[in-house]
Amino acid sequence: MTTDEVAVEVRDLVKVFPAPGGGTLTAVDHVSFEVRRGEVFGFLGPNGAGKTTTLEIIEGLQEPTAGATRVLGLDSVRDRAEMKQRIGVQLQAGAYFDHLTLEEILDLFGSFYPRAVPPGELLGKVGLLEKRKALVRQLSGGQKQRFSIVAALVNDPEVVFLDEPTTGLDPQARRNVWELIRLIHAEGKTVVLTTHYMEEAQVLCDRVAIIDVGRIRAVDTPLGLIHTLPTAYRILFATDREVDPEELRSLPGVKEVGPADAGGFDVELAVERAQVTLPAFLEWAQTRGVSIDDVQVIPATLEDVFLALTGHSLRE
Amino acid sequence: MTTMRKLFVASVKMLYRDRLTVFWALMFPVIFTVVFGLFDFDRAPEVRIDVVGEPSAPLYRALREGLGRVESFQLRSADDLEAARGRLADGETDVVVVVPSSLPAPGSVAEVPVLYNGANADVNTFALSAIQRIVGATNLRLAGVQRPPLEVRARAVEGRAIDYYDFLLPGLVAMGVMNYSIIGMGVAVARFREQRILRRILATPLAPWRFLAAQVAARLLLAVVQAALITATGVFLFGARIYGNVGWLFALAALGNLVFLNIGFAVAGRAPNPDAAAGVGNVVSLPMMFLSGIFFPTDTLPAVMQRVVEYLPLTPLLEAMRKVALDGLSITATGPQLLRLAAWAVVSFLLASRLFRFSEAR
Repeated sequence: MTTDEVAVEVRDLVKVFPAPGGGTLTAVDHVSFEVRRGEVFGFLGPNGAGKTTTLEIIEGLQEPTAGATRVLGLDSVRDRAEMKQRIGVQLQAGAYFDHLTLEEILDLFGSFYPRAVPPGELLGKVGLLEKRKALVRQLSGGQKQRFSIVAALVNDPEVVFLDEPTTGLDPQARRNVWELIRLIHAEGKTVVLTTHYMEEAQVLCDRVAIIDVGRIRAVDTPLGLIHTLPTAYRILFATDREVDPEELRSLPGVKEVGPADAGGFDVELAVERAQVTLPAFLEWAQTRGVSIDDVQVIPATLEDVFLALTGHSLRE
Repeated sequence: MTTMRKLFVASVKMLYRDRLTVFWALMFPVIFTVVFGLFDFDRAPEVRIDVVGEPSAPLYRALREGLGRVESFQLRSADDLEAARGRLADGETDVVVVVPSSLPAPGSVAEVPVLYNGANADVNTFALSAIQRIVGATNLRLAGVQRPPLEVRARAVEGRAIDYYDFLLPGLVAMGVMNYSIIGMGVAVARFREQRILRRILATPLAPWRFLAAQVAARLLLAVVQAALITATGVFLFGARIYGNVGWLFALAALGNLVFLNIGFAVAGRAPNPDAAAGVGNVVSLPMMFLSGIFFPTDTLPAVMQRVVEYLPLTPLLEAMRKVALDGLSITATGPQLLRLAAWAVVSFLLASRLFRFSEAR
């Protein structure tokens, strides 16, 4: 990858905090990765995994203990001033001034940059134009979050950092934020976000880094990550016939055969690839005269990947 | 420059749209000024006097007539000394004057016993000196002096009268600029930090000091508005007298405000939340409020404390403001006070820059 294609570059990043009650706490432990220009890159990990710390070091808000980060070829520490002109930052649980209207806040933040997008244009983008004279506290949770994201766009940045953009939102509001992130992506901006929702990482991100206790466990596309699992799919079927598990186990790609745990299904096959096993399975049913009442193919999720990589669940 | 202007305008809006600020910074000191204005500190106290003696005796009539001229004396005739003593002990009367039944023989002196309740300090000072004067005048008249050859004519050398309210008003102005700066600034900054607004600003190219400078400038404006409101209320509603230049007074208020804003930043330095900042702010400002001479001159304090109080920032501010307001002096005459204030401005700035943290502690 040439430097022109790299939006964010993190090399051997380490951040050590003094731990409460003495000792030290390594929040970020030798993290390295690259974000390509124009992609939506997600950090997936549970709370306290080091996502926010990594992000804030890249944004120039915290100093690294060791290692370096660069954004658009600019060092986060040395070239901080120039870098800040070209990035947009939305902080986790960050608020804006209580007594200024949405329009006034965007106008004020815009004045911090040499070039700014007009407040009306920004508010229109997130459907808040008619709320331009409102105060932040008069907005709903979803509107607040959309405002806080659009406020990160006042300087028309090339790279946008979103820290937990949908935490605490209801499903509809979350979907609206996803739409907004897709819109930002469609404008050609690079988006770096953190999340502890596997669904969000899966639908939104071109590539995902799985992070746990300060270490990156894997970086790939969501599908690529899922394909690293020995069994990326489960095939469930319902039948009224007794079947021989040994016959099923001999089908291509089948790793395990067992009773299905989903309601209405009788047998579950854990397989490497659905497209390999499925035709063979259907052929087997036909030649054996096994009537299949229903069949379902369930792909693995990033949650399964996380569990396989770390031994514990995302929600822990 | 447009950034600075926008920041200043935004900071002013933030202040004036916050109802709590408007109340604590503007309404509260004005209410204080009104309440103190409603008291009449210089009115003579009401004194109840029992006059014991023979009502038909000429001496009795002469003294009683003299006492009766004092407006705040309520006289009551008592023919029995014991009964009057009892009333004094029960608190039903304040002073008992016993008039001799007849004039003494020429060359000898008759006593006019005056009994009073020792616990009633301000009543006593006033009543005793008035009674003394009346007895003196009666003496002269009895001695046949129609026009006394000597007469005291009191005239204030400076040609100006100052009462307690005049003394208090600069104190209220100083109290206003102190309280709302230390606590108000501290709480506001702690809230900005808690809401991660300061961090959000750090993520932009804006130099953080410019944001803080705009906040300080807006609060200086607030301090002058506050000083003007308090002064106007005192002068126009309650007739307080200010002999010096009001402009200098406001300039001093603004200078003092600057010191207190620095202290506010120091107070908010590492406070984890606005409540903690308010708590520390109160600890810092309450002692000054009572010791530095807002309500009473500092020379009524014990000598040791006077020494300590001299080094608090509010003390030189109050001294300078009273020199201007009451003595009618120019600001150039307040050199020593200005020097101490300037020293405090430097010290408080250093303190603030040492203690103040832009980001929340991690």
